[in-house]
Amino acid sequence: MRCARRLLVPIALLLAAVPAAAQLRAGEWVSYRDAYRAMVRFEKFGGAKNLLVSQLQVLPAERGALGDGARLALAGKVTQLNLPLDALGRTVLPLQKSAYDENAALVLNRNGVPFTVLPRVTIAPRTDGHYDSADLRAACGQALAYARYVDASQAARQCAGVRFVFAPKAASGVRLRHADGQEQLLAALPGAAFGAEAEEVVPVATWRFGTERAQVTMHDAPLAIVPVFE
Amino acid sequence: MNKLLFLALTAGCGAAWAQTPATNPMPDGSRDMYVGLGVQSAPRYVGAESRKVTALPVLQVEWSNGVFVSGMSAGMHWSENPVFEYGPLLAVHPGRDESGAGRTIGDVGITTDLSGFIASPINKNALRGERLGGMEKIGARLQGGAFANYYPDPRWRLTGSLLVGSGNEHDGARLELGVQRLGVVADAQHRVAFSAGVAVVNRHYNESYFGVSEVESLRSRFPYYDARGGLQDAHVGVRWNWTLSPSWMVTSNLQALRLLGSARNSPLVERSTNVTVSTAVAYRF
Repeated sequence: MRCARRLLVPIALLLAAVPAAAQLRAGEWVSYRDAYRAMVRFEKFGGAKNLLVSQLQVLPAERGALGDGARLALAGKVTQLNLPLDALGRTVLPLQKSAYDENAALVLNRNGVPFTVLPRVTIAPRTDGHYDSADLRAACGQALAYARYVDASQAARQCAGVRFVFAPKAASGVRLRHADGQEQLLAALPGAAFGAEAEEVVPVATWRFGTERAQVTMHDAPLAIVPVFE
Repeated sequence: MNKLLFLALTAGCGAAWAQTPATNPMPDGSRDMYVGLGVQSAPRYVGAESRKVTALPVLQVEWSNGVFVSGMSAGMHWSENPVFEYGPLLAVHPGRDESGAGRTIGDVGITTDLSGFIASPINKNALRGERLGGMEKIGARLQGGAFANYYPDPRWRLTGSLLVGSGNEHDGARLELGVQRLGVVADAQHRVAFSAGVAVVNRHYNESYFGVSEVESLRSRFPYYDARGGLQDAHVGVRWNWTLSPSWMVTSNLQALRLLGSARNSPLVERSTNVTVSTAVAYRF
C-alpha cells in the first residue's frame, strides 16, 4: 500500500506531461537550449576564427525530406522566429537569452519529418569567388584549431584540403591556377557536403593542398567550403 | 551536442555517488533547472539483501556562473575548456541507522546510546528483526572535495572525484574513477548512456560503513570486523532519458554495484552485488 502511494505522484506527473508533449510530435522538434549549448561554443572560442562561419544544420531522418522552402521555427511563449534553411539544411542560429530562458523549441515546417541538428563550421565564402591557397590553408587551420578545442580526438589530425560544395544545378567545378601558370580543372562530382548519410547529394569538388601556391577560382558561388582533416 | 543532452539529467537524489553534470554554457544570468519526482528500488543499505522502494526527488540546476546542484552534490565548473571539466565539489553522504541507509532516527526501534556502557546484557536474538540493530548510527555527512572530467572523444567521458568527510569521525575519503559512453541514440528524443567505474576508499571510510567495533559486536549480531581501506566497489550503469517535450522528461536509471576488498568481506554485507533501479518524471524550467 505504501509502495502504491509512492507510485501515485510520479504517475500523476507523467499523466500531466503527456498532454504537453502531445503538442509536439516525437522527433520533430529540438530543444533550443541544447542547440544553444552546441552553437555558443564557437562564440566562446578564443582562437582566430575570422575566416570561418558557424551554422546549425538540420539532418532529416530521410534524405530529400527537406526540399525547397524548408525552415526552422524558433517557437517559445513569446519568441516566434523563422529561420530559413539553405540547400544544405543550414541556418544561422540566433543566440537569444529570451529564447533560452523561456525554453523554446526549434520546429521544422515539415510534418512527419523527424530530424536532428548538428553544429557545422565552414570556411567563409568570398564574394568575388577568388581564393588564394594560402588563405584557404589559413582558414582550414582555424577550423582545425576549433575542432581540437571541442574534440580532443582531433589532436592528431591535419588539414588535408578543402571541399567546395555547390548547389544541385551548379556543376562547373573549380579552376586552379598554379604559380607556374598551369591551370587545372577540378570537376564537381556528386557527394555529401559533410559526409552524413542523410545529407542531400550535391556537386562537390575536393582540392587537396599541395606544396605549390595556387589561385582558386570558380564560376558558381559555393554553398559551403568545408575544411578536410585527415 | 549529444553529450550535453545525455548529461543534462544524470543525478537523482538517491544516487550513492557524486555526479557532476557537463559544462553548460548559457546566457549570462540564465539557469537550466530540472525538478521532478519518481520512485527508486534500492537495497536498504549498501550490501543489504532486503530492498526498499522510496520516492525519488530529482533536482538539477546549473547557473551561468558555473555553479551546479545535482542530486545530493553541488559544485562549480571552473574550466571553460569543453574537453576538460574540473572544480570544487560538495556532496551529502546519506546517513545510516538500524533500518538502513537514509532513514531518520525516529524510525529506529533500538536506541544506539549504549556506547561505552556495555555492562547490560543484550539479547542478540531480539535484534535480528533489525538488519543493523546494535550498530552505531551514522549521520548524514557533508563531504568536500573536487572533480575532474575529461572527454577523449565527445562520446566518451572519463570521470573522477575525491570527497572527504564521510563516516562517524568525518575522516572518510572516497575516490571515484569512471568512464561514461555517451551518445547512444535511438532517435532525437531517446538518449541512452552507459557508465562503469570503481571506488577507492581510505580505512576510516570502510571502518565507518563496513567495520564492526568491539562495542558494536557486543550489542549486535555481528562479529568484530576490522575493515581496511582500498578498492571498495566496481559499478556499472545505464541511463535512459526520454524527452517528451522541451519541458518534460522521463529519466530512468539502472545501477549494479559489486563490493570488493575489505568491504565485501564485512559481516554487514549480505549480498556483495546490489542493484538499484529508478525512474522519474522531471520538468525543465
